[in-house]
Amino acid sequence: MPSVGFGLITAAVLAIAAVGFTLQFAVTNVLNLAFASIMTLAAFVAYWINQTGVSIWIALIASIAAGALISVALNYFVYSPFQRRGSAPITLVIVSLGMALILEFGTSAIVGGISVSYNMSQGSTVKFAGMILTTVQLIIIAISVVVMAGVYALLRYTKLGKAMRATAANRMLARNSGIRASRVIAITWALTGALCGLAGIVFAIDVQSFDPTSTDIFLILILAAVFLGGPGHAYGAMLGALVIGLATEVSAAYIQSDYKYVVAFVILLAMLAVRPTGLLGTRT
Amino acid sequence: MLYLIILLVYTAVDAMACLGLSQQFGVAGVTNFGFIIFQAAGAYVAAVLALPSDTANGGFQTYIGGFSLPFPLPWIGAAVAGGLLALPFTFLVGRRLRGDYAAVGLLVTAVLLNLLVVNYRPLFNGAAGTSLVPAPLQSGMFVGTSNGYQFGFAIGGLILVVAVFWFVRRITESPYGRTLRAMRDNDKVADSLGKNLVALRTGVLVTGGAIAGLSGAILVSFIGVWDPAAWSYAETIVLFTAIIVGGAGNHLGALLGAVLVPVGFEEVTRFISNNNPSLPPNLLPSLQWVAIGLLITIFLWLRPQGVLPERRRVIVPPARDATGARPTRQRPAPEGTEVLKAADVSKDFGGVRAVANVSLSVSKGTLTGLIGPNGAGKSTLLSVLAGTEKVSGGRISYMGQDVTALPAYRRARVGLVRTFQLASEFKRLTVVENLLSAVPGNRGDSFTGALIGRRYWRGDEAAAAARAYQLIESFGLRDKANEYAGNLSGGQRRLVEIMRALMTEPDVLLLDEPMAGVHPELARQIGEALQELCRQGMTILMVEHELAIVDELCDPVIVMADGQVLAQGTMAELRDRSEVVEAYLVG
Repeated sequence: MPSVGFGLITAAVLAIAAVGFTLQFAVTNVLNLAFASIMTLAAFVAYWINQTGVSIWIALIASIAAGALISVALNYFVYSPFQRRGSAPITLVIVSLGMALILEFGTSAIVGGISVSYNMSQGSTVKFAGMILTTVQLIIIAISVVVMAGVYALLRYTKLGKAMRATAANRMLARNSGIRASRVIAITWALTGALCGLAGIVFAIDVQSFDPTSTDIFLILILAAVFLGGPGHAYGAMLGALVIGLATEVSAAYIQSDYKYVVAFVILLAMLAVRPTGLLGTRT
Repeated sequence: MLYLIILLVYTAVDAMACLGLSQQFGVAGVTNFGFIIFQAAGAYVAAVLALPSDTANGGFQTYIGGFSLPFPLPWIGAAVAGGLLALPFTFLVGRRLRGDYAAVGLLVTAVLLNLLVVNYRPLFNGAAGTSLVPAPLQSGMFVGTSNGYQFGFAIGGLILVVAVFWFVRRITESPYGRTLRAMRDNDKVADSLGKNLVALRTGVLVTGGAIAGLSGAILVSFIGVWDPAAWSYAETIVLFTAIIVGGAGNHLGALLGAVLVPVGFEEVTRFISNNNPSLPPNLLPSLQWVAIGLLITIFLWLRPQGVLPERRRVIVPPARDATGARPTRQRPAPEGTEVLKAADVSKDFGGVRAVANVSLSVSKGTLTGLIGPNGAGKSTLLSVLAGTEKVSGGRISYMGQDVTALPAYRRARVGLVRTFQLASEFKRLTVVENLLSAVPGNRGDSFTGALIGRRYWRGDEAAAAARAYQLIESFGLRDKANEYAGNLSGGQRRLVEIMRALMTEPDVLLLDEPMAGVHPELARQIGEALQELCRQGMTILMVEHELAIVDELCDPVIVMADGQVLAQGTMAELRDRSEVVEAYLVG
């Protein structure tokens, strides 16, 4: 049973990132492979603040802000100019890989190749239904649940959420219906960037020790969760994160833990081969 | 070891890899983000074929195989392994999957295969990698060989690069290569013209994989060790950067890119670190990756065509008239028979029923019009008739055969061809090339035909070119014949599309608003040409918005509304029917 606990924590972190990634892709049409690199940089921003003696839970806000800021800047200075010029989707994917390299290894050039940890207490452990969790891990799960509820409320009940869904479904039509699509897209970059920054810091808290390349593999998990649920589907990404999180950690209890990511990989390739629109995706 | 030798061998390895990727990405438009795993597979296979078994090799490393095979078997095995490794991935680049999703799938594969090889030690000795790989025709590693041998090795590597260059060029400059470029520019349209996308992409994945595998063999024979750090997923991005900087679609550009990016970067870094020994060890490699990221982005923005852009291929009209050299397709059906028939055909998109239980038949030699208000399902109906979209229900038969299950390219090959509503010219093919790309049965339009060479296919090519020039002249586009189709006006692009469809010598032609955006005088000319084709036995089903055109050209006319067929008859008859007038003619 302890592996279910690990699975839930991984799923909680993964859900924040996957929902951010998939919403970003749905609304902005950028398959942003630099997402995980932004996560790391945001986590390092929190680390630098944490190093000055500030509590990590306050630094969390800085990490969120950094994620949003970097994402907005990336769109404003790079992705958006390419899109306005009418570049092919694949060109943007290549550009996003270029951005991933710049951010990841830019961070690496600044901090060096060493692993760092936040200055924080893990809190007392709690036993619950055969799972052993620390207070910090419970907080991570709570944050994730609140974020998922928030995303649901945003998409379901707010004007902005509706505008986001409309822009995702058909940008031209949304524009013609009086939605200021470019503004919706800019706000989406800020929002999903904030989710990215949050995912970065909770990832770093969860793994406890991280370096600039730590999120390389995590990107694979994000992609697996996103494609499992169907690219662009927020609720699909939540479901995908839960399945991938549990599948990787629970399988680690039975096979060698080094191979746990293979499960995510097989799921991803199977989805691409059989049902590229994902479990919840029906539209072509 | 001589510095020059190192430089020459690295140049050979990177140039060869770049040629393979240039063929995949630059020519065929297959974005293989996992390219490096093919090089890695070649290197590992060459290593374990050349090494003695691991127990006999000191026992400090484990690997499968260890066959002590003599040169050149390890290198041949490497190329075969690279080609075979491509086969499991062909499902990723098939007909249905978007190119960017396939690229993500390949990227993920590259990351995870690396992880697997690191963790599963029995395969290739895990993170430490296989080492002590002997050099070709030697008992020890490359470092211990004589200067003369090393020089010969470098020259041999470069000769292999020349051979690979000859190979990819021969493919690219053939009708088969033109088909690859057409697929790169618009795969859906290539599919509709009878091109088998899965077979084409499998071809480039396998040949590119084999080339990458061979480059890996040369590399591992040279450095003697091969470990997972040498083939991280990011190495693929370096090769992509080389292709984009050098010029995608131009193999000389790929060679230039190989010298500028992978080789150049290595040398510059080495130079800086040699002169500044006090730098932190992590800084330069990190900055190198940052520079790669910057380089790829800046080039895609400022000079997406690269330093050496793909060159425009000018095709001159053949001197003597070569038409009639090959027999035109038999048109077996007699006048008046039903050549195309839909029975109870439906198409759903999610919950929306775009086409609902449509039954219709089209008779040979007619120019049938298909009209209806926006959103009536006309284009969708055309798509399912041509096979671009699968039906949700019902049957489609063509010439008496059930074709419901046939994919678009197979329907096109038996003479059922469509055009598209949106501009769908192959942008980076010239007008003549657009037309030639559609010609079925060109002997050079296959992998083997392309390899056999120009002498084998130039007869077919000349005949096709003669026919293309005839069409181009009759539609008055002679002075644009060798322009890129993407640079033409909207009306001219529509003409190219119609001419291209005609080059397939279709029996049934499905046209989606062929006159939209075309100058009225030209539209009249197209109309006359279409009528003439029908008189000669062709059958045309045409979606059209302009009622005046339909009135003049089409008989019979089918009216659609809300996904259903509302009425069928001559325009005069339809005008008398109130429901038709209500649904469309007035509203």
